[in-house]
Amino acid sequence: MEILQLIQSNLLTPIILFFLFGIIAARIKSDLKIPEAISEFLPIYLLAAIGLHGGIEMRNTGFENMLIPMFVAIGLSLLFTLNHYQILRRLGKFNIFDSYALASTYGAVGAVTFSVGLSFLKNQGVTSEGYLAAILAILEPVAFIMAIFLTNMAVSKQIRVKKQSFTNDDVSDIDVGLRETKTKLSQVLHESLTGKAIVILLGSIVIGYMIGESGFSSISIVFDQMFTGAIVIFMIEMGIIAGQRLGDIKKVGVFLIAFAVIMPTFNGIIGVLVATGMGLSLGGAVMFGLLLASASFIAAPAVLRHAIPQANPSLYITSALGITFPYNIIVLLPIMFAISTLVHGEGSIDLFNYITK
Amino acid sequence: MKLYNVKLLTITCEILAQKNIIEILKKHEITGYTTYEVEGNGARGLRGHGLQTEKNVKVEVIIREGKLSDVIEEISRTLFADFALVLYVSDISVVRTEKF
Repeated sequence: MEILQLIQSNLLTPIILFFLFGIIAARIKSDLKIPEAISEFLPIYLLAAIGLHGGIEMRNTGFENMLIPMFVAIGLSLLFTLNHYQILRRLGKFNIFDSYALASTYGAVGAVTFSVGLSFLKNQGVTSEGYLAAILAILEPVAFIMAIFLTNMAVSKQIRVKKQSFTNDDVSDIDVGLRETKTKLSQVLHESLTGKAIVILLGSIVIGYMIGESGFSSISIVFDQMFTGAIVIFMIEMGIIAGQRLGDIKKVGVFLIAFAVIMPTFNGIIGVLVATGMGLSLGGAVMFGLLLASASFIAAPAVLRHAIPQANPSLYITSALGITFPYNIIVLLPIMFAISTLVHGEGSIDLFNYITK
Repeated sequence: MKLYNVKLLTITCEILAQKNIIEILKKHEITGYTTYEVEGNGARGLRGHGLQTEKNVKVEVIIREGKLSDVIEEISRTLFADFALVLYVSDISVVRTEKF
C-alpha cells in the first residue's frame, strides 16, 4: 500500500504532470510544440548539468571507488542485453534484427530518465554518488556495441551457411563478414564516443572536477536551480512525442508491451539490490537501478538505424518512449525508491516533503 | 548560350539514410550535392514530426548520364528495403557541363 501512495504522490510532481499534459496536448491534436532549437538544446543542457554535478562530487569523493560499480554496471548491462535477446527471440518470436535492436535499446541507458531520477531524488532531499554520471557516459555505447557485434556475426554465419550449401568453397566469406563487422564496429564506436551526448557529458564532468564547489557557485543559478524547471519544459516535448505515438502502441503487440514493463522492473530491482550490496547510498542505489532499468530512445534510433538497418525502428522507439519511459518515471522510480529505503533500513519515506514545502 | 543536358537525381529519404546516400555518391566520385530538411506524408506515415532522427531530407545531385544507372542501382539495392526512401530522375540543362 505504501508503494501505491508513493506512486500517487509522484504523479502530482510537476515533472510527471507536465509529461501527462504533453500527452493530452498531442491527443487532442493541439498545435502546441516546443520550438526545435529548444528541444535540441535541452538534452545538451541536462547532460551538462548532470556532468558538472558528477564532476564536483567526484572531486569531493575521489574516483577510485567508482571502479567496482562501473565494471559491475557494464557486466550487468551486457548480461541483461543477452537476456533480453533470448527472451525476445525465443519467447517473443521476433526476428534476429528486431531482437538485437530491442535487446540493446533496453540494455542501453536513457539520459532523460536519468535526469528525471536526479530531480526525483532532489525532491526527496536525497543525494546520490556523483560518479554515476560517469557510469552513464560509459554505459551508453556498451549495449549497442555488443548487439551490433552479435548481429553481424549472426549475419555472416548465415551467409556462410547459405554459400556452403551451393559450393564447398573456402572460408573467405567469414573473413568478409569479420572485416565488415570490424568497420561497422569501429564506426559505431567512433560515432558514439564523439556523439554529442557523450562529449558534453564527459566534458562537463572534467570541467566540474576542475572547478569544484567554489567555481560552481557562479553558475549554479543556471545549472542547479534551473535544472528541474528545464526538465519540466523538456517533459512537455517528451509528452507530445509519446502522445503522438500512443496509436502505434497497439501495433507493437501484447508481448512487447509486457516486455517493456516487466524487463525494466526486473533490471531495476536487481540494480538497486546489487548497488546496495556494493555499498552505494540510498539515492545512489536508486540511480544505479534506474541506469539499468532505463531504455534509450534518443541515442538508440541514431545508432541502430545505421548499424542494424533491417530492424523496424517503430518497434524500439515506440516501446522505449511510449511505454517504458512513462512507466519508469511514474511507477518504477517510486518502487525502486521504496525498495532502496527498505534495504537501507531507513524508516519513513517522505515524498510529500517537496509538495508541502 | 549553349546549354548541355544532364540529369538531376532527387532522393527524398529519412534523415538517417542521408549518410549512406552520400557515401554511395562519394564512392562513385560525385562530390557535389544539395540537401535540405523536408516534411511530408508517405507509406511510412507522417514524417518530419517528433524526434530529431525521424525527419526527412531531400538530396539533389546533378549527375552525368553515364554514372546515373550505377548510382541508382546501388541505392536501390542497399537502401530500398530498410529505409523510407523515394528517388526520381529529371532532365535538366546546365551551362558548365565540365562541373559535373
